Amino acid sequence: MREEMRAEEAAQALAGIRERQEQVINVAVPPARFWWLLATLTVAFAAAVESRRPLVIGVGTALFVAGVLASLAWALRRAMRVQVRNELLGWRGGMLIAGFALLTAGGSIAVGFSLSAAGVPHPATLGNLFGAILLVAGGPLLMRALRRIMLDRSGAAQ
Amino acid sequence: MTAPRFDELIHAPTRLAIVSLLAASEWADFAFIRDSVGLSDSALSKQLATLEDAGYVEIRKSFVGKRPRTSAALTAAGRAAFDGHVAALQEIVSRAGASVLPR
Repeated sequence: MREEMRAEEAAQALAGIRERQEQVINVAVPPARFWWLLATLTVAFAAAVESRRPLVIGVGTALFVAGVLASLAWALRRAMRVQVRNELLGWRGGMLIAGFALLTAGGSIAVGFSLSAAGVPHPATLGNLFGAILLVAGGPLLMRALRRIMLDRSGAAQ
Repeated sequence: MTAPRFDELIHAPTRLAIVSLLAASEWADFAFIRDSVGLSDSALSKQLATLEDAGYVEIRKSFVGKRPRTSAALTAAGRAAFDGHVAALQEIVSRAGASVLPR
């Protein structure tokens, strides 16, 4: 060990390491507008299908597919630059993602079926709207939690 | 728990930045490292060659369509050296107390 090294210098080196690792982790974390896009697409698609008008269903489906393909292409382009170490997510990160997916999908389905049973018009759109609210509100929170988990597991935490 | 081991080769600022990026990734594209660290192509190639010679980094060359693509990944030895170096830095800081912790 280099005994003459000052503690301030070591602390600065650790801060630099953390900063670089944040750069990698930030590539893996989608921005807030991703959740807005996903929410808008799902609600618009459900509304188009529930309109029962062939032209609206056709346009809605085309827009939905185009939106999904565009976000896939965007994610793929980011993934080509760097792949975050798999083990940084850990079981806690995996459970958070699975829990969030279950909550939004399960919540949308439960609300949709409940509204349908109650005879409320446009139950699928309203169910998806509920899921969309969860996506927009919870997505960024989930990403913040995952970012913290990955940084803590990256090794430079003090 | 990794044993602290200060590594002079890794500690050089540019190499520490490169290895830190690679330590958080399975692999990283040459252009991503270059842009993140702010180096020229030749300067990055030189640093990567030094790390490769030490057995810390593996360079992979492939083609995406007709375009050549270079990526780098830490080897097991590189990851162990990085973990030991981080542990050594943390030990220096903890010996001095919390007063020197960065923001």
